[in-house]
Amino acid sequence: MMDAGYVALAAPLLHVLAFLILAIVAPLRRLGRPAAYVSILCAAGALAAALNAWRAHAGDQISRIVWTWLPEQGQSLATIGVLADADSTVMLTLVALVSLLVQVYSLGYLSDEPKRALGRYYAYQSLFAFSMMGLVIAPNLLQLFICWELVGLCSYLLIGFWYQKPAAARAALKAFWTTKAGDVGLLIGIVLLYRQAGTFDLTELQVLVANGALPLAGLSIITFCIYLGAVGKSAQFPLHVWLPDAMEGPTPVSALIHAATMVTAGVYLLMRTAWLFALTPDVLLIVAWIGAITALLAAILACIQNDVKRVLAYSTVSQLGYMMTAIGAGFAGAGFFHLLTHGVFKALLFLGAGAMIHAVHSNNLSDMGRLARSMPQTAIVFIIGTLSLAGIPMFGGFLSKEEILGAVWEGGLVGPFIILMLVAFLTAFYMFKAVFLAFFGLAPSHASHAAPSHPHDPPASMSLPLWILALLSMAIGVYFTFTHPEPEFVSPGWLMPSAVGVAVAGIALAWLVYQRRAISADGLARAFSPVYYAAENKFWVDAFFEKVVARGALAFSGAVGWLDRYIVDGVLNVISAWTLTAGDDLRGLQSGKAQDYVYGVAVGVLVLLLWVQFA
Amino acid sequence: MSLDALAFWVLAVVLVVSALAVVLSKNLFHAVLWLALALTGTAGIFLILEAEFLAAVQLLLYAGGIVTIMVFAIVVTERLVGESISQTNRRIVAGALAVAALAGIIVATIWRQPATAAAAAQTGDITRNIGHAVMTRYVLPFELLALLMLAGLMGAIYFARPDD
Amino acid sequence: MGLEAYLTLAAIVFCIGMFGVITRRNTIGILLGIELMLNAVNINLVAFSRYHGDVTGMVFTVFTICITVTEAALGLAIVILLFRIRRTVMADHLDLLKG
Repeated sequence: MMDAGYVALAAPLLHVLAFLILAIVAPLRRLGRPAAYVSILCAAGALAAALNAWRAHAGDQISRIVWTWLPEQGQSLATIGVLADADSTVMLTLVALVSLLVQVYSLGYLSDEPKRALGRYYAYQSLFAFSMMGLVIAPNLLQLFICWELVGLCSYLLIGFWYQKPAAARAALKAFWTTKAGDVGLLIGIVLLYRQAGTFDLTELQVLVANGALPLAGLSIITFCIYLGAVGKSAQFPLHVWLPDAMEGPTPVSALIHAATMVTAGVYLLMRTAWLFALTPDVLLIVAWIGAITALLAAILACIQNDVKRVLAYSTVSQLGYMMTAIGAGFAGAGFFHLLTHGVFKALLFLGAGAMIHAVHSNNLSDMGRLARSMPQTAIVFIIGTLSLAGIPMFGGFLSKEEILGAVWEGGLVGPFIILMLVAFLTAFYMFKAVFLAFFGLAPSHASHAAPSHPHDPPASMSLPLWILALLSMAIGVYFTFTHPEPEFVSPGWLMPSAVGVAVAGIALAWLVYQRRAISADGLARAFSPVYYAAENKFWVDAFFEKVVARGALAFSGAVGWLDRYIVDGVLNVISAWTLTAGDDLRGLQSGKAQDYVYGVAVGVLVLLLWVQFA
Repeated sequence: MSLDALAFWVLAVVLVVSALAVVLSKNLFHAVLWLALALTGTAGIFLILEAEFLAAVQLLLYAGGIVTIMVFAIVVTERLVGESISQTNRRIVAGALAVAALAGIIVATIWRQPATAAAAAQTGDITRNIGHAVMTRYVLPFELLALLMLAGLMGAIYFARPDD
Repeated sequence: MGLEAYLTLAAIVFCIGMFGVITRRNTIGILLGIELMLNAVNINLVAFSRYHGDVTGMVFTVFTICITVTEAALGLAIVILLFRIRRTVMADHLDLLKG
């Protein structure tokens, strides 16, 4: 029987196979749809492999396959391989599932794209899936970092898929640079950790930690640097600014990369190294507070958005903050659980939003309305996703959200707990605001747009993934509502009812404001005018980056440029001028007369003889 | 003082004096003649060293061949310039100092070493030995030498040919 | 008579030849100096050969003489060529390589 680790390895290899075929066989890529079929076929195989690997590793079974990559004096400096256990294989399955569904969905969503662009899109998709899976099964931090950078690259390529659009090109750059700022921290952290521990390998590190052999001095800096990488990738405050802009990319890309998989890489990284972070409680406290603040700010921002994708983007940021808070409270398992359920229903929400956008040709909520009548299927699946996100019992996000709240309470973090309860309320509010505005309420004022043809439900290639995800969300919700997994902690009894109550209150408020219009939205905005004003300006984070960081960088590079131009170049110019003058002076030695050279030889021999004699 | 020693000293004086005359003489033609004398003196030294064959070669090639070529060259260049070429020296003091210092150090080094034993006994006919060595052990250098001389001959003809 | 006497004589003749090479203005004079230097080398070779009872030195003397003759012939050809082109035999005037 084959080692189960190889089954896990097959999943990324299938994707990279698809990528290589599309990258090398250019004629196939230019055909568009056939290229998509190749990629989807490989994705389906990868899903089968991932499911098998998950089944094989469901218990405490761990497979570890490691090959030497950079040999150094008998042992290996760097390795590459597979570390498959329960956590990584379930994550692998999530990635395989969402990427397969997104690839199928894209067939319908991007049907109007030119053939060449479609082929390119599927090549990027395959590369992304490969990199993400490589990250998930990485047995050491080095492979993890390489894949980490690869997914960043794919994110850049896919956000900028419509590179003719200036906004998309700008957003791609912004995403790349902002995450890169965090990645530098991650790299520094990994290298520092290597210096401290002498290995990149996760298993070996874990053994070191378990034996208490890892020196604690300076470990806080290391874990903080690693956390910085997660801040950039998982869009934590203050580096969250790239994620809303990343919505310029195609909606399926947002579903895959910016909701379900890549942005959760930071959470996954912290979960994978939770035993390391457990040694540095001060850093964990920072993680929790930053997570809570991120969740709150993003939730407030989501309330004032009119663009359905941006609502979802801020919601993603907010939910990532949720997961981070749970990890910061010391219960990485709860955060990871929410990551998985969130991956499913947030992908569902994004794909549903994509179906709406596809139908009305606009991102704007005010251009939608009464869509429930014309696209009932989309309405149903979107509402399922929304209920999951709000944390209503029987739906996907219910238990995982409650787990997080319980974990934070158990961790003794009262401040973050209160914030998270507030965020739960806001989440229900803004999501149902979107639902009421889009599917019910008033019909859109068609004056603003060239009247779109009657919106209707999407084709099968798009609705099938939607239904699969919706049913999966429901299944998860129902399963976990009745069978509570053995918890790491016992949440207080009042927690579940109050969490649900808060969510229901949020839904009710949204109903009153946007459906019944019993409360004026403007009045609400006036009541919270300072918050509203701050949110309008995105809490000045973007402005801060633009004004202070960008200008500071410009001033610094100006100073460095001056230094280079006048000091460094100046020294070089002086030296070269001296060389020229010296050469000019020494030129006189070359008389060009053969006899002078013979004389030089004679004197040289004389000097050599004297030296031999007397030295 | 043995006869050998007497002959050596006489020849040495002749050699040094004629050499000095070669480099110092104002008249180039005289300088060439002094060179001929110096080369002949060297042939005498070879005779003292019982190398009769080399002495003969020295006389034939050097004193005969080279001196003739030199005289020929002087005549040609004088004819072309249309004036007698007088010899002058430059930088005499600096050159003399450097060369004297060099000579002093070399001679000092020679005499610092313990004296070598007297001449080894002569076995057999030296000319025969030389011929034997040239034709057996050193046959390859010998052939290469022939090639070199052929190339030199052609080069000299090429250089000296009249302008087309 | 020791070997030193011959070596000393050769050294002196060599240095006189070198003096000629350095100081002579006429290129033919320089060639004469070179002949003297080579001659001194020959004396050395023969003396060593004689005192070590090895015929190799004499063989090489034969070679040296042959090479010297070739050198003299070529050197004079070059002098004549130079003379024809530059209209001078003075080494002072031949400084095309001046820096």
